[in-house]
Amino acid sequence: MELQQSISIADKLKILTDAAKYDVACTSSGTQRSNDGTGIGSCAQAGICHSFSADGRCISLLKILFTNECIYDCKYCINRRSNDVPRASFTPDEICTLTMEFYRRNYIEGLFLSSGVLKSPDYTMDLIYAALYKLRTTYRFQGYIHVKAIPGTSQELLERLGFLADRMSVNLELPTAEGLRLLAPHKTRERILAPMRLVQNRMEENRQEIQLYRNAQRFVPAGQSTQMIIGATPETDFQIIHVAEALYKKFGLKRVFYSAFVHVNEDASLPARTGEGPPLLREHRLYQADFLLRYYQFQAGELLTEENPNFNIFLDPKCNWALRNLDVFPVEVNTARYELLLRVPGIGYKSAGRIVKARRYGKLDFGDLKKMGVVLKRALYFLTCSGKMMYPVKIEEDYITRNLLNVKERLPEGAGGMTFRQLSLFDDVRFGSAAEGGVI
Amino acid sequence: MKTIYICTDSITGIFSAVYEAWKDRRREGASGIAIQGSVEPELFCEYREILEKESKAEAVERMILGNLGQDVYHHIYYAALSRDDQKGEAILGTLLAARKIRQPRKIMEHLGNPSVEKVFELSRAVGNEAHLLTGFVRFQELENGILFADITPKNQVLTCLGAHFQERFPLENWMIRDKNRDMFVVHESGRRWVLVQEEDMEGRLDARLSRLSDQEEEMQKLWREFCNTISIKERENPKCQRTHLPLRYRPNMTEFVR
Repeated sequence: MELQQSISIADKLKILTDAAKYDVACTSSGTQRSNDGTGIGSCAQAGICHSFSADGRCISLLKILFTNECIYDCKYCINRRSNDVPRASFTPDEICTLTMEFYRRNYIEGLFLSSGVLKSPDYTMDLIYAALYKLRTTYRFQGYIHVKAIPGTSQELLERLGFLADRMSVNLELPTAEGLRLLAPHKTRERILAPMRLVQNRMEENRQEIQLYRNAQRFVPAGQSTQMIIGATPETDFQIIHVAEALYKKFGLKRVFYSAFVHVNEDASLPARTGEGPPLLREHRLYQADFLLRYYQFQAGELLTEENPNFNIFLDPKCNWALRNLDVFPVEVNTARYELLLRVPGIGYKSAGRIVKARRYGKLDFGDLKKMGVVLKRALYFLTCSGKMMYPVKIEEDYITRNLLNVKERLPEGAGGMTFRQLSLFDDVRFGSAAEGGVI
Repeated sequence: MKTIYICTDSITGIFSAVYEAWKDRRREGASGIAIQGSVEPELFCEYREILEKESKAEAVERMILGNLGQDVYHHIYYAALSRDDQKGEAILGTLLAARKIRQPRKIMEHLGNPSVEKVFELSRAVGNEAHLLTGFVRFQELENGILFADITPKNQVLTCLGAHFQERFPLENWMIRDKNRDMFVVHESGRRWVLVQEEDMEGRLDARLSRLSDQEEEMQKLWREFCNTISIKERENPKCQRTHLPLRYRPNMTEFVR
């Protein structure tokens, strides 16, 4: 106890940052807010990244835990009750000082406050509320605040908190209820979904309040998000993206984040260490699929099937879908519907939008597409411009797969009757019969 | 014979040249704009130096805003801030092309036109750099409480940053220096930001800028510690970090120096 009182703010920051780093979301998007001229801070709709850490993840918010003391014992978590790690707690004042001083120097876009559970969910959330209230009122802070809601917190407290924060998130932790039972014995699916539903309903009500009264306070204006751990339990990608789709459709979530499982604890119920590190590629494929759901009008059922429940490691989900649906290709750039353009590998939603606009003014060719940001090395197998393909390629699954996997930028095999090949002295290359009978 | 108008490298300069070219009513291709100091002489060209003049620039600004709208003006303004030598030519080409289509306000959608495409590309590059810098600018608190930051951008993005930080820190005194161009954007609490070009200030200024407040060192240390701690060792990926945060920004960023 004595040790804890003498702990400096620098040490606290180190301990509580270290404990918070496994939280995924660090986005500052979703709110557009101007400063009212009385304080500090504003929010940009698209969010702003302020730095990038050595693991390549963006640092946008001051991501800290309020405390890393916890009454729970979740098997995967570094802060679980049974772990012997240094423990610390911030005071609301310390959080305010750190946030304000970092924000003034433009280090951060706002605050991401999560926490272990100290005594009870309500007790912890009350302290968090005190910190945020002080930050918003005394310091007039108008930057971004993302706060984690701890399952089991009272409804009334969550509602008050929602008016201070821009985004709220409840961790789903694991994709299925069985996984949760196995690894997080103190948490249940129902207790996690309850606050999510509450926030969703309150946001809906708030939307109507705002229509009536223009100056009504905003409740969680940047929406809510969640995260789940990938690879700690044996779920398939098929199950995971179905869960994500359900969350988007039924709970109106803004984002679902996936977190590749990192071994921090030794426990019999966790998967054995493989020495390969966290499943980063799998996480990447899930994010790609997640974008297809949100921006590209794909359904989870189109991307994976029960017989084929995991993503192809070698190909991204969109290419994978295209190869299994070759009957819709090639697509004619100058006439195809926007929805169909979106489904072409190598065309993103931005370039699809540009194509639709630009083709009103004249026929587009492959050169124009390149300038608009289309990735031709992927798109060329699926597109025609005015009825012509870029190279004489075959619409055939094996052929396209082989070429797509050839990651370096080069012409497809056999295009234009030319192939590239490293010459070697010992090759028996016939340099065309025309040259025969010449020198040598 | 083609006439090329030579102007200074500023919004006012380029817009003045556009004004002159417009007034002479040259056909497309028969006139061009070049930036002073980066003129590559061509044969069969007449060169004419243009003095930058506020009233001419304003007339062009009104003309663009009135006929082509806010959106197109935004693209042209950003393109004019680019470091590219061809920007004047591209802007003039875009404006001339806009006269020929039925809905001039949609000229920026006409990406098949090389000039429009160029303006779009330049504006996107400037916008991207400005956006990145809204995050990467690092202020230091000086002895007298002023927040000061150095940047070394490729394009002239100070004006874009001025608006952003005025919105964000209306009650702070702050100042950003573009080291490549010896330009400053200065903001006084509660006022509007101003753009200042000052070269001879250098020697005196540097000494004053190195006197930091008592707290500053401590805060920088905390921030560095935070950045080191937040990274997950098992996921380390310097290449990914470099694509998001190119090395050229790092010399001015607190967490990467020392």
